[in-house]
Amino acid sequence: MSQQKKTIDFGFSEVPLEEKVKKVKGVFDSVADKYDVMNDVMSFGIHRLWKRHTIELSGIRPGNSVLDLAGGTGDLTKEFAKRVGKSGRVVLADINESMVRVGRDRLINQGIAGNVDYTITNAEALGFPDNTFDLATIAFGLRNVTNKDKALEELYRVLKPGGQLMVLEFSKVTQPLLAKAYDFYSFNILPKMGKLIADDEASYQYLAESIRMHPDQDTLKQMMLDAGFDKAEYLNMSEGIVALHRGWKY
Amino acid sequence: MMLNKALEFILNEAIRLDEGHGAAFKPLEDKVFTLTLNDLGTTSHLLFTAYGVSVQSDLQGDADATIETSLVALLALPQTSELKGAVFHGDEPLAEQFVDALNSLEIDWEEHLSHYTGDLIAFKVGHAARSVMQTKQGIKQQAGDTLKEYLQFEINALPTKSQVQRFNQQVVQIHQSVDALENRIDTLLKSATTASH
Repeated sequence: MSQQKKTIDFGFSEVPLEEKVKKVKGVFDSVADKYDVMNDVMSFGIHRLWKRHTIELSGIRPGNSVLDLAGGTGDLTKEFAKRVGKSGRVVLADINESMVRVGRDRLINQGIAGNVDYTITNAEALGFPDNTFDLATIAFGLRNVTNKDKALEELYRVLKPGGQLMVLEFSKVTQPLLAKAYDFYSFNILPKMGKLIADDEASYQYLAESIRMHPDQDTLKQMMLDAGFDKAEYLNMSEGIVALHRGWKY
Repeated sequence: MMLNKALEFILNEAIRLDEGHGAAFKPLEDKVFTLTLNDLGTTSHLLFTAYGVSVQSDLQGDADATIETSLVALLALPQTSELKGAVFHGDEPLAEQFVDALNSLEIDWEEHLSHYTGDLIAFKVGHAARSVMQTKQGIKQQAGDTLKEYLQFEINALPTKSQVQRFNQQVVQIHQSVDALENRIDTLLKSATTASH
């Protein structure tokens, strides 16, 4: 669908299709070092609860293989690695080398090693054979992907039959009053905090805009079904500020 | 979710501080336990790996062993050394091994505290804690004795031990007498039947 367009959204602006990957890479190169601190500050630490909830619902067990796509600085990879143990395997994959480096160093420093692989990959062309993973996750990454439909098809392909995809992403706030407050926060406070902490107002302006351009809950669920998933459902967290979409391949 | 996180933290800290470095948990690596706390109505899944214990609400597939118990029994484990009223499913010996591993945890609080406070303060805190425990034990014992005396001797609501023993002996004697009487009646009935023929 979006491949037929000559331009695509980059936040609220339109950029040539082939430019988005480079621009997104630029954003994350810029914020990589301060990414974790900014996540804590921006979400008041609530992102940890969203991620914890995601991990708990994954139902993962020792011996499983997991793909943490757009794994960034490795929050989810760390917890998955602890759960799958030495008999399992976790792959932290991200298109951004800076983020993978930060994530790898951080996990090694925390003693997570031996069952984690790191790779730089494009979500639209995953370099893994069919039916490889028991679980695939993409947390706060799908909205940055140029062709989301293609990425979902790829995620479906690399999942084993019976496997599950979990998409944790900012979504549409369901409570009108909260939505107004959230808009004010996103466009007035968030970029200023980005400037203050990471000295990068533009990147955080993009983050806020990209959240608004991301498909809402029902649209994303339908996209997952269209990509081939046999079952899809979603769970709103914090009144829809974030939604966890789950899709199963049977 | 919060209960799981708390349980995960407590178990991992206990293993970390254990005198035996959690050696009893090594055989449980790559095993999964489902822990149901009936009094709270919660179910958690405990995943043991080389990294420690992880606790989560959902699980794909079945656990190796399931333990149904109560939070009260779990908290009392250090005193009772057993999970009273617990029901095991699945690999029961493995579930028992898990309980044994929990029982084997030994934490020298004074030693660990001394790293932060120094030996003297750690000893004083430990001494105070032991005194409190002894006092608590003494008060508990005294309260039990007082209640027992009141129920047995003041209001005669409960019998004493010797009264119960005497009563049991009397029940046995009556039982024997009834048996003897039954035999005599049987004999008489048989005699009467023979005589009527």
